Amino acid sequence: MDYALSEEQAALVAAVQGIVRDHGAPPSDARQSFAYFDASLQAALQGGGFLDAARVLGALEAALVVMEAATAPGAAELGASALVAPHLFPSAAPNGPFALIDAAALGKAHRHLPIAKTALITDGGDVLVLDLNGVRIDPVDSVYAYVYGRFAERIDLRALPRIPDAAPLLRQWHRVALAAEMAGAAAQAVAFTVEYVKTRHVFAKPVGAFQAVQHRLVQCHQAALAMRYLTLKAAWAGDAYHAALAACFAQQKASKIVFDLHQFNGAMGITNAHLLHFWTYRLRALQAEAGGVYASAHTVANALWGGAGP
Amino acid sequence: MMAFRDSVRAWLRANLPADWKHAMLGASEAEHIAFQRQWFCALRDGGYVAPHWPKEWGGAGLSFADQIVLYEELARAGAPRLVLYFISLYHTPATLLAHGTDAQRRRHLPAILSGDEIWCQGFSEPNAGSDLASLRTRAERRGDRYIVNGQKIWSSNAQYARYCLLLARTDPAAPKHKGISYFILDLDQPGVTRKPIRQMTGGAHFCEIFFDDVEIPAENLIGAENDGWTVAQATLSSERGLTILELTERMRIAFDVLCAEANNETPWGGRYIDDAGFRRRLAEIYARLEALRALVSNMLDRVVRGESVGAEPSIIKVYYSELLRDFTALGLRMGGLDAQRIAPVLMGGGYETGNWMHDYLYSWSWTIAGGSNEVQRNIIAERALGLPREAPAAKPRG
Ligand SMILES: Cc1cc2nc3c(=O)[nH]c(=O)nc-3n(C[C@H](O)[C@H](O)[C@H](O)COP(=O)(O)OP(=O)(O)OC[C@H]3O[C@@H](n4cnc5c(N)ncnc54)[C@H](O)[C@@H]3O)c2cc1C
Repeated sequence: MDYALSEEQAALVAAVQGIVRDHGAPPSDARQSFAYFDASLQAALQGGGFLDAARVLGALEAALVVMEAATAPGAAELGASALVAPHLFPSAAPNGPFALIDAAALGKAHRHLPIAKTALITDGGDVLVLDLNGVRIDPVDSVYAYVYGRFAERIDLRALPRIPDAAPLLRQWHRVALAAEMAGAAAQAVAFTVEYVKTRHVFAKPVGAFQAVQHRLVQCHQAALAMRYLTLKAAWAGDAYHAALAACFAQQKASKIVFDLHQFNGAMGITNAHLLHFWTYRLRALQAEAGGVYASAHTVANALWGGAGP
Repeated sequence: MMAFRDSVRAWLRANLPADWKHAMLGASEAEHIAFQRQWFCALRDGGYVAPHWPKEWGGAGLSFADQIVLYEELARAGAPRLVLYFISLYHTPATLLAHGTDAQRRRHLPAILSGDEIWCQGFSEPNAGSDLASLRTRAERRGDRYIVNGQKIWSSNAQYARYCLLLARTDPAAPKHKGISYFILDLDQPGVTRKPIRQMTGGAHFCEIFFDDVEIPAENLIGAENDGWTVAQATLSSERGLTILELTERMRIAFDVLCAEANNETPWGGRYIDDAGFRRRLAEIYARLEALRALVSNMLDRVVRGESVGAEPSIIKVYYSELLRDFTALGLRMGGLDAQRIAPVLMGGGYETGNWMHDYLYSWSWTIAGGSNEVQRNIIAERALGLPREAPAAKPRG
C-alpha cells in the first residue's frame, strides 16, 4: 500500500490536529488525576463528524483520525466509535461513545463504561447491543488515564438484541482501534520527551546530547513510527491477520517505550506534575486489552502456521 | 553464625506482629508513622535496629557477616521495612561518625535511637539531579550562623522529618565541587516550607523543600566549610549493599507468590503456568534473580573480607532495578485488567507486595533514585571497563 497521504487525508489530519491543539492544556485538577476524560474533545470530534470518517471516507481515514486524536492529553472514546461500530453497523449505528465488553468478563471493570451510551458485548461468536440509557454504572478508580466503570446491576444478556457471528469482526477492529490509539499516544509521548531532553541540562549539556539517551529515544521513535504504519496497513487491508499483527507489535513495544520515556524525564517523569503519564498510562491500558500481547501473538501465529486460538 | 541466625529467627517469631500486613494495607499516614515507630522500637529493644552502629553509640556493633544474616532473616520473615528511618539509620550516622563533631554525634545519635528523630536527605535540586554538583541553594555565613536560601526537591519522607542532611553552596566563586558545604538543618523553623509531590503511583513519597532566610547555627556544619562534597561521599556509601541484599531476598520470596498466581486462568484459555511462552518468561526471570543473588553475595563477601568492591554497587543497582521492573511487569501482565485497579497500598511493604500496579509503577523509582541507571552505566564503563569518560564525573548518590 501507499502510505503517503492524499490531499483529502492531509486536510482531515490537519483538522483533527487543530482540535487537539485546542485541547492541549488540561485543567489543573485533571492534571493531578489518573483518569482524564475530555468531554469537550469528545464532543468536538463527534459533533464535527470525525468519528464517522469510516462510513464517509473509509477505514484508513478513520484510523488517521484516531491516531491524531490520541495525541491529546485528555482521553476520549475514539477507536470503538471510529473503527469498530462502523464495521458492525454499516448504515445506522446506535449512539456512541461505546464500551467494548466481553460477556465472559461482564462483572469486571470496562473502559469508557461510565461515559458510554452503548455497550457492544461479544458473547461467543455473536455481538449483543446494550443501550446504556438508565443502566446504573459504578465508576472504578484505575491508573489508566481512561475512565473505567462496572455494572451496578445485573444485565440480562438474553434480552438483548443480537448480531449473529459478528464477534470476530468486532475483535478485529478492536485491535486496529487500539493499535491506532497506541500509535498516536506513543508518537506524542516521544515528542514530549524529545522536547524535554532538549531543554533539560545536565553536566552543561542537554540530556539529549548524550548518545546513551539519543539511541534509545531513536528506538522509541522507530517503534512509534512502525506502530503507525502497521496500523494504517491493518485499516487498509481490513482482515483479522493484519489487525492482530498491528496490535501484537504495538502491545509488544509499549513496555519499552513507556519505560524509556519516563526514564529520560528523570524523577520528574514519575510525578503527576508532568503530562507524560496521560499518554503512557493509555499505552499500558491498551497493551492489556483484547487479550493483551500474548493473545494477539497467538492470533498471528495461528494465522501464519495454523492452529486454533483466539 | 548459625546461633546468631537462630536467635534472630526466634526473636522474629516472638516479636513480628503476625497481622501487620493486614493492618498496614491502605493504612493512613498517621497509622503508617505510628507503626513504623512501633517496629523501630521493637527492633531497637531486641538489639536489631542499628546492627551496624558501634556499641558506644548504642548500636549492636555486629560484624558485617552477622548484619547480612540479620537482613536475610528480616526479608525472609516478611518484616516491615523501616522506610521512614532509612536516612536516620544509615546516612546520618555514617556521615556523623566519619566527619561530625563529638557534640553533633551526642546530640543526634541517641535521639535517632529513641525513634523520635526522622531525617531526610536534601541533596537534589530542580536543576541539580544527576549533575548534583551544580546545586545552587545558598548558605551565607553571618557571624555564628549560616543563612540559607534556595530549594531542594525529591527529598524522600521530608514531610515526616525533623532534620535534613543539607548540601548548600557556600562559595559561588569556587569550582562547582569545591564551593559546597554540608549541614544539619532543623526543618521545624520559620522559613522552611515543605510541599509533598504527587507520584504516578498516587502516593506522595517525596517533597520539595523551600528555604527562605533559614538559619543554621555554625556548629551544625559537618566537616570543613566548602568540603561538603567529600563529606557527602560518606553519606552515599553508607549502607554498603545491605539494602540491596534485603531487597533481593524479598524478591526471591515474592517469586513464589508470582508462581502461585501463575495457576490463574489466562484470557486465552488454560493456566499461565501451562503456557509455553509464559513458562519461559517465568524461568528467565528466575535465572536473572539467581544471578542477582550471586552478584550480591559475591559483593558482600568481598566487603566482609575487606576488599574493594569497585563498580559492583553500580552493576548491582542497575541489575536489580531492571529485574524489579520486569518482575513486577510480569505480575501485572498476569493480573490482567483486574490488576490495574487502584488498590490499597501496603505501607512499609517494599516493592513486591502483590499489588502489581503499584509495585510496577513504584519500580520505576529504582532506575532513577540513587543515581540513574544511565549515570550508573557511565560509572561502570569508566571504572569496571576502563573506557574513556564521556561526561564529567558523576558520583553514585541518594
Ligand atoms: C523515588 C526517589 C527518591 C529520591 N529521594 C531523594 C532524596 O531523598 N534526597 C535527594 O536529594 N534526592 C532524591 N532523589 C533524587 C534523585 O537523586 C534524582 O532524581 C536523580 O539523581 C536523577 O536526577 P533528575 O531526576 O534530576 O534527572 P536528570 O539528572 O535530569 O536526568 C534526566 C535523564 O538524563 C539521564 N542522564 C543524566 N546524565 C546522563 C549522562 N551523563 N549520560 C546519559 N544519560 C544521562 C538520566 O539518566 C535521566 O534519564 C530521589 C529520586 C527518586 C526517583
